[in-house]
Amino acid sequence: MIPDVRTYLRPARMPHILCPGCGHGIVLGALLRAFHRLRLNPDQIALVAGIGCSSRLVGYVDVCTLHTTHGRALAFATGLKLARPELTVVVLTGDGDGLGIGGNHLIHAARRNIDLTCILFNNAVYGMTGGQLAPTTPQEGVASTAPYGNIEPPFDSCKLMMGAGATFVARGLAYEPLALEEMIARGLVHRGFSFIEVITDCPEYYGRYNQLGKGPEMLMSQKRRTMDIMEILATKRFVVRDRPEVRAWNLPYRLGILHEEERPEFSQVCWQMVAGREMV
Amino acid sequence: MGEVRNLLIVGVGGQGVVLASDIVAAVCLRHGYDVKKSEVHGMAQRGGVVYSHLRYGPNVHSPLIERGRADALLALEWSEALRWLPYLRPGGVLVVDMVRSIPPIALRDRMTWKSAYPPMDVDQVRALQVEVCACNAGQLAEELGNRKVANTILLGILSNLLEFSQEEWEEALSAVVPPHTVDINLQAFRLGRSVHAERFTAGGIPVDLPPTYGVPRRFRVEIVEAWCKGCGICVRLCPEECLRLDSRERAKVGDPGRCTGCQICQLLCPDFAIAVHEEQVEEASIRG
Amino acid sequence: MGRVRLVRGNVACARAAIAAGCRFYAGYPITPSSEIAEEMAALLPKVGGVFVQMEDEIASLAACIGASIGGLLAMTATSGPGFSLMQEHLGFAALAEIPCVVVDVMRLGPSTGLPTAPSQGDVYQARWGTHGDRPSIVLAPASVREVYDLTIRAFQLSERFRTPVILLYDEVVGHMMEPMELPSLEGMGPVRRANPVDLPKDYLPYAADEDGVPPLVSFGSGVRYHITGLIHDESGFPTQDPAKVSSLLRRLHEKISRNLHEIVSVEPFLLEDAEVAVFAYGIVARAAREAVQEARARGMRVGLLRSSVLWPFPEDAVREVARTVRAIVVAEMNLGQMVYEVERAAGGRAEVVGCFQVDGRPISPETILDAVSTLCAHPSPSGKSKGGRLKEGN
Repeated sequence: MIPDVRTYLRPARMPHILCPGCGHGIVLGALLRAFHRLRLNPDQIALVAGIGCSSRLVGYVDVCTLHTTHGRALAFATGLKLARPELTVVVLTGDGDGLGIGGNHLIHAARRNIDLTCILFNNAVYGMTGGQLAPTTPQEGVASTAPYGNIEPPFDSCKLMMGAGATFVARGLAYEPLALEEMIARGLVHRGFSFIEVITDCPEYYGRYNQLGKGPEMLMSQKRRTMDIMEILATKRFVVRDRPEVRAWNLPYRLGILHEEERPEFSQVCWQMVAGREMV
Repeated sequence: MGEVRNLLIVGVGGQGVVLASDIVAAVCLRHGYDVKKSEVHGMAQRGGVVYSHLRYGPNVHSPLIERGRADALLALEWSEALRWLPYLRPGGVLVVDMVRSIPPIALRDRMTWKSAYPPMDVDQVRALQVEVCACNAGQLAEELGNRKVANTILLGILSNLLEFSQEEWEEALSAVVPPHTVDINLQAFRLGRSVHAERFTAGGIPVDLPPTYGVPRRFRVEIVEAWCKGCGICVRLCPEECLRLDSRERAKVGDPGRCTGCQICQLLCPDFAIAVHEEQVEEASIRG
Repeated sequence: MGRVRLVRGNVACARAAIAAGCRFYAGYPITPSSEIAEEMAALLPKVGGVFVQMEDEIASLAACIGASIGGLLAMTATSGPGFSLMQEHLGFAALAEIPCVVVDVMRLGPSTGLPTAPSQGDVYQARWGTHGDRPSIVLAPASVREVYDLTIRAFQLSERFRTPVILLYDEVVGHMMEPMELPSLEGMGPVRRANPVDLPKDYLPYAADEDGVPPLVSFGSGVRYHITGLIHDESGFPTQDPAKVSSLLRRLHEKISRNLHEIVSVEPFLLEDAEVAVFAYGIVARAAREAVQEARARGMRVGLLRSSVLWPFPEDAVREVARTVRAIVVAEMNLGQMVYEVERAAGGRAEVVGCFQVDGRPISPETILDAVSTLCAHPSPSGKSKGGRLKEGN
């Protein structure tokens, strides 16, 4: 049986504040199962988040939780990890939080290869502020600040992270919680900066503005419109071209663990240097 | 019109069903028989089901074997053997590899959520008036140095039951198998022929069955109403349609008996409002 | 023991931080503060501490707060433009009550301004820069020795009151070298903030004692709790309950306002019989001191009130001075910031006159002397009972 991970929650805080049908809670469940699977001690886990719907999740988890400022969670987490390298530090961030206001911190955390696991919830919109345009809103997608459809191209955050030097890059779906759990568990075990983008839904704003249905419909359509890298490899079409046409909910994104490499981990290197220079 | 012999060769992708069938066909042709062969190997990837109907005799019209008419069933895999057993005539011969290699079709039982691999009970099959020649061909092949020649070992066993000479078999074999594998295939074939000489005195081969195989399981779906927001994800995505929304838009279990314990509702509930628990089933109710 | 040598202000700051137990520094290079980062980068690994250069000042203070939550005493240093970027996290540290020390080596602004020229233009930003209403502790050293002492003091106050403390000095103080004896770093090793012992079973992370300061537990030490930048109750979780909201914000203020005696520090000089007082801080206080001595030599009864703590403002001390002098000259390297506080505290009991300079050069003793002389030569016609409107003295 799949474990019941409600023991990791703070029951007095529940139910959480997210809207009906929002997939963020599914992603949190996958994270908690990954904790459970790896037998991590909750005292030794720190969950750090910025501002936004995804970031509010940390308050419901019974570990050390730090709810910081908009976009800056990774910078806080960097300090915490350097001060306490023995902690498992996980950062929850949204597409606006991580790729918009916090983009600078994201690329530098990846570059340093500090041992943080960063889970980026991509629901293509700013949910907490009421459905504004995000750096991930697909072109032509309608948002409250893009009433005639988005005219900007969106980020592909995994490509961005690979370019910035992240040593573990994966993309999963809220709709595939077991695959996601596996990805997160591998990201947690990975020594270095692990980046996991999760495609999730915002039925209340993005779904409503773009007539994409409610939670179940949105989650299912996300499954239909993404491509599993392993499936692509199995068909031996090794050169994959993203579909050029991008409509409101056309996610030309590939799923799975997209990149994995070993590179010296920053907090370890940092403390090794300290150990080498301490005065006797 | 002379007598037509019917031979069914079954297994899963990657085991060499088609090759074994080609070898038999080659022997028949060398012997001067007419041969008709029909096979399914659409599941080209490893693990998919493969079978080959082979009919030979002085004059063969139809390529397909009817139920209950096969003289011999050569099965490279146990669960496939059982699936095709009805095709064997009374008193027919089953030549079967007892090494477990579970095909996807037998992976999951939706009610019990366990492997549904059937018990490897040779005696039970013998009780159906089938002559069983069972051996661990896969293991023997591995000992020879190539797992893939298990099919040839079974052909060796089968060869004792058919009218062709060892020379005919070995000529056909050498012509059909890839040139660099001729030696090991000949070794395997001869080993198979000798295994039969031992007349399968063993009553059966030890099997490791899941203890709960076939035992119904019962599940309880716990819904924390205070946390449920009525998003309907569980209702829409439950494959057994166990759940519904009540008048206050809260998830409710409609038909608990249909729950197979897949836990999709628990996994996809964004509000941690569902937990599926397995209930203890009384021993008496299992057998009763 | 150390030996007397010429020490730069910024170097003294770094050395004092190490001595105070600072074992984490995150910063971003900016003139005229960079020497602090350079010194910390060289020293921290030797004493079991971590230095990291972050991607900007926002991240720098965030990393310091993160490290502080992890149990290390943390510091960052910057100048005006970077200090502007840090305002967000000064607010966070104040609300979440995470100790940290921020050094602002002031340069002339606004914007990029004059990067290599001194200024005292950040006095109000240090007090009110972050949005919302929060108290502020701002220390203003005037010499290299005092940079050293007040840096240590900054860490003490920060830990004592669980609040960010700002060390505010200008480019001249940061770059000048003065002889001082630097205590040796020998024997210094890793330091971590001690965790409170014997926490009650129903421990509430933001339940304060009578002092108004709750105990701080480091992450990873076996107590799991929530820290947020949202208004929270004693449990640390967000609340919108008006009583709890008000109670938190009042406590944040009161933990400072009720303990002013532990924080405020002024240095009176020749004020006993003064008819005119000069109020100055930082580098200007040194010029003011010379101006006061020169005025005395010329027979003018002039004194000096120097404050080494700008916020909380030394209201009582200024009020006392205003009672005894006819006029107060506020000399500062801006177009009037602290002068408003002085005027408010004086409450009309003395005329308050500004002596401002914003040309990228420190104020000279002559400039202050001129301002003082004018007041002594032409006493306010309405006497000392009436305070004048603000006007510039030169």
